[in-house]
Amino acid sequence: MKSNRTINNSQLAISLNSLLLLMLLVVNSYAQTLNPLETDPRAARAGGSIFRAQCATCHGADAKGISTIDAPDLTMMWSQRQLSEEDVFQTIRDGISGSIMPPHSFPDTEIWMLVSFLRSVAEVGTSNEVAGDSSRGAQLFTRYCSDCHRANGNGGSLGPDLSNITARRSLSALISSIRNPSVNITRLYKPVSFITMDNESVQGTIKSEDAFSIQMMDSNQVLRGFTKSNLRELRYEQQSLMPTFAESSLSNTDVDDLISYLQSNRSR
Amino acid sequence: MFTNKLIKLFCIWLCILPFSESIAQDNDGPSFEDLLNGFNDPTRWLTYSGDYSGRRHSPLIQITPSNVDQLRPVWTFQTGTTTRGRGFETTPLLDNGVLYVTGSNNYAWALDARTGRAFWRYRRNLPNDLTYGASAPVNRGFGMLGNQLFMVTLDAYLMSFDRRTGDVLWERELADYRIGYSATLAPLVLDNKVIVGISGGEYQTRGFIDAFDPISGERIWRFNTVPGPGEVGSETWPNDPAVLAAGGGGTWMNGSYDPDLNLIYWGVGNPNPDYYDENRPGDNLYTDSIVALDANTGELRWHYQFTPHDVNDWDANQIPVLANIDWEGEPRRVVMVGNRNGFFYVLDRVTGEFLLGEPFTATTWAREIGADGRPIVLNDGSQGCLPDPWGSTNFYPPSFYPGLDLFILTARETCATYVAEEPANTPGQSNFGGTVFIDAEKGHGALRALDVHTGELEWEFTYPSPTFGGVMTTASGLVFAGDHEGNFMAFNAETGENLWHYQTGSRIWGAAAVTYMLDGRQYVLIPSGTTLQAFAL
Repeated sequence: MKSNRTINNSQLAISLNSLLLLMLLVVNSYAQTLNPLETDPRAARAGGSIFRAQCATCHGADAKGISTIDAPDLTMMWSQRQLSEEDVFQTIRDGISGSIMPPHSFPDTEIWMLVSFLRSVAEVGTSNEVAGDSSRGAQLFTRYCSDCHRANGNGGSLGPDLSNITARRSLSALISSIRNPSVNITRLYKPVSFITMDNESVQGTIKSEDAFSIQMMDSNQVLRGFTKSNLRELRYEQQSLMPTFAESSLSNTDVDDLISYLQSNRSR
Repeated sequence: MFTNKLIKLFCIWLCILPFSESIAQDNDGPSFEDLLNGFNDPTRWLTYSGDYSGRRHSPLIQITPSNVDQLRPVWTFQTGTTTRGRGFETTPLLDNGVLYVTGSNNYAWALDARTGRAFWRYRRNLPNDLTYGASAPVNRGFGMLGNQLFMVTLDAYLMSFDRRTGDVLWERELADYRIGYSATLAPLVLDNKVIVGISGGEYQTRGFIDAFDPISGERIWRFNTVPGPGEVGSETWPNDPAVLAAGGGGTWMNGSYDPDLNLIYWGVGNPNPDYYDENRPGDNLYTDSIVALDANTGELRWHYQFTPHDVNDWDANQIPVLANIDWEGEPRRVVMVGNRNGFFYVLDRVTGEFLLGEPFTATTWAREIGADGRPIVLNDGSQGCLPDPWGSTNFYPPSFYPGLDLFILTARETCATYVAEEPANTPGQSNFGGTVFIDAEKGHGALRALDVHTGELEWEFTYPSPTFGGVMTTASGLVFAGDHEGNFMAFNAETGENLWHYQTGSRIWGAAAVTYMLDGRQYVLIPSGTTLQAFAL
């Protein structure tokens, strides 16, 4: 009588197949946690083609989103949330339940190409440490910025919160915003000025607007709503409420110190 | 004593009799004659536009320019289903005090028109691998005939319901949704025909218009919007059956109907791919055209192409508006279209003859439409930005105001740059063939009233952003419109002066108002966000 442990050829074949299947599953599982194309420079380019064909209608050709249809800016997602590449892979594959973002049945390789593309267009922030004096930067922030900007819970609200700005904006973009703040004014901070029927002169930033009303934060950082029919004069200003800081008022060293301070306090 | 009781009972019976007859009549539901009557019975709204003409112009006059400022909300119905990125685009139908409403994601309801409370609810179990239907999970309304309702679905079916219960009577597949087909329009119901079109022109699809028997659900005829090899119109395409078989030409918005001519008028969408054109030289008929079909047979009587060889996704899926107007001293039966390419057109609806084509936005695409009816293109995109692919207007309804002879529509001023790129042509995957860069800083919208004889702007009201809300007019001199910021508004039809507005809390997107009389009171309804909102004095 043969031993129960004797394995015939067909059983051996089944076992080998099972082993192969297991190996494939392991490889597949591995492939879903790490981008297998991470080091392939062609991946982002190919992913860009897929993105423009399949995703750009909602997210925009530059992946910056289309606010009028609630499609988010994908270049900011990495820095706004603690996202891994696997998270992005799964979101593309599964879609977002309850939203217009559908699931996609692309092959894994194409999804990883999309992930590579999205990583390539991500707002990278100020990745290198800026050689500045962060404690002096903190003083400069209090003196020049904190009336309108917050950092780490302190400061005003007329301008954007800068606590994590260095994670989202490159060094050159930050310097540009300081030197030429009117060149690129973010939505929600567009300047407006008007005179009411009661002859009150009001300046501030537009938070929302429709054909009949305007919602804004005035220069005293008070949220206020106005009916347009109660305004004598309404001007959409081109100049940011933020003053322009030339080198004469804020030297390059000062700017480095400021950015160093902001960099030292960001959460990631 | 007994005699008195008998007299009383007789009186009660006499009182009930007409009411009972009315109930019995109403229980049969609207006939084709009722649909033909359109707005003649203002207690009903039986078709998408209220009648077959597509004018969306109600004869009701209780709400006027002088009292519209007293209009106030009466009830709100919460649908409980969302369409992020799109809108609640339906037009409710009304009969005998009951509203029949379709919603996003193929929800549907019968509602008490006095209170907004539901009689029944329906939700279709949709497959989880929808293609086009996943990116635009909208529906634009029921069709109704007798006790039957008709609705199309995101997985490309036509369904019939019993309007009393919401029970499904039958369903028929229009096309394979897995390739990219879907369906979103409100069926056009004629005498013994339910006519529908198809969505999915961004995929490897070929558009068509189908007519179905309402009772049996059997298909009566099909008109293909892209001709087959050797058929008339195929000479405007390359001689390649594969290109023709996936030429696009969706028919995803409602048509109109002229019962005297027995013709239906239907807009056709973009060629596939949208932006990339290397594989499709030629005019690509009948994409971006209006087609006039024999309602009995589906045979093509005439066509007019608004945008030959489109590379900008300027579908012609707008409501064709039919009217009989004086044209250069002669009565003329015309069809009018405010087209996505930025031009307003007037055509003879008997022959298809081109009568007028004038821009209603600051388009730099074409300078004018030539005498031959073809656009004289100024800017193919190399001379600056063009209207974006959402268009200078879109599918949301315009309205024609007879007497004032105004065509009133929502216009979008936008600035887009198109970059074509060869697509993969994969069934089930969208196939735009390139990218569009839209300058968000340069967009705005406007409600515009055009003189239908000249196309000239008579008045406008500006919106802060490009808007997707539709228009309805009433014979009291009012225009009702919605905007992207969520305002539902009333305007003086003669001057464009804003007379009333109500902030609904969500954008009005792809929908227009309806109005009806009930218990001597005029109601106005508008879908907004995830709600249907009713107003009255």
